Amino acid sequence: MVVFWLCTWDEGSMYCFMRNFFCSVLVWVIALSAGNAAPLSYTLDKGASRVGFEVSFGPDQITGELPVQSAEITLDFQQVANSSVAVVLDVGNAKANFPFATQALRGPKVLDTTRFPTISFVSTEIQVLPDAPSKARMSGEITIRDTTRPITLGAELFRPADRALGERERLIVQLSGAVSRAAFGATGWSDLVGDTVALDLMLQIDLAE
Amino acid sequence: MAARNSERSFGWVTRALHWATALGVLGMLPLGVYVARMEVGYSNLWLFGLHKSIGVTIFALLAVRIVWHVVSPPPPSLPSDVAWKDQAAKWVHRAFYVLLAVAPLSGWVGSGATGLDVLVFNRITLPPLAPVSEAWETTAFGVHWVVTKLLAACAIVHIAGALTRRDGTLARMVKG
Repeated sequence: MVVFWLCTWDEGSMYCFMRNFFCSVLVWVIALSAGNAAPLSYTLDKGASRVGFEVSFGPDQITGELPVQSAEITLDFQQVANSSVAVVLDVGNAKANFPFATQALRGPKVLDTTRFPTISFVSTEIQVLPDAPSKARMSGEITIRDTTRPITLGAELFRPADRALGERERLIVQLSGAVSRAAFGATGWSDLVGDTVALDLMLQIDLAE
Repeated sequence: MAARNSERSFGWVTRALHWATALGVLGMLPLGVYVARMEVGYSNLWLFGLHKSIGVTIFALLAVRIVWHVVSPPPPSLPSDVAWKDQAAKWVHRAFYVLLAVAPLSGWVGSGATGLDVLVFNRITLPPLAPVSEAWETTAFGVHWVVTKLLAACAIVHIAGALTRRDGTLARMVKG
């Protein structure tokens, strides 16, 4: 049996452009299909994937993007717990919405990209939310500036608009969560910039052949 | 109106340098205090650039003044009848030269040590004078804080002296 849920795409999402590429039909991984018994491996479409961040800056917000360097994603549509996500971000090419913020972000007081050119995330546990079956909670470990801390991300799986129902060749994984800068020693300009950084990952993935 | 200084009067170049520097310092002191205390956001981020731009301009004016005074030495101070006032005037003038150099330089060093570009007039990126280092940054901005307070104190003494003297000191800086 294949189960689909309909959800409305968030109008306030920073990834508005995504709306042009896929509809809001959700195909969360608890969908069962006799034809996909084994975990499926996916490859990342870098060009169509984005990682956004947002942090408070006085009365305003600094926003920006962290390019995705690589991702290894395996989805088990029968046993969700067997799914896994590993993502590496290329912070050396991180960009904020104004030049000084970009420079500060990459500099030694924040991400120190010369010494620590990547941020990595590895999932350790995935649980579908019992009261919201279209969503999952993904626990894992994130490494920033060579410091590894546990993190829990919200996860959703989407199907592009131009794909037929039930098709799993191309999917979009959205992960969202937040990190404390102080927990990773990225404390630069703490008098001006907030400690909590919201992360929003949109990973477009294609079924590996 | 002579450009060069004479034995008794200031030429217009020296006077222009003096008043331009005075304007810059008197504007920078409150601006610096405001910038240090404001809640920074997009709407006021430009004030950092303005602060740095004026600071670099004051430093440039000082450099021009020193060169100009080698080319055309200024007239000696008019003596007052009170020895300590003459001494105070002499030392305040000397202090001005030191402080007008150290204040912008310490700001430049501290800004460079943060790892951010020192951008003036939103066009010119100055080279950093120090490595990116928290120690350099803390020390330089500590020096900047102290030096600017001393500069404010000297400015008060200087203005008070100029306004209270009745021997034509202020007039010759205005009219030559």
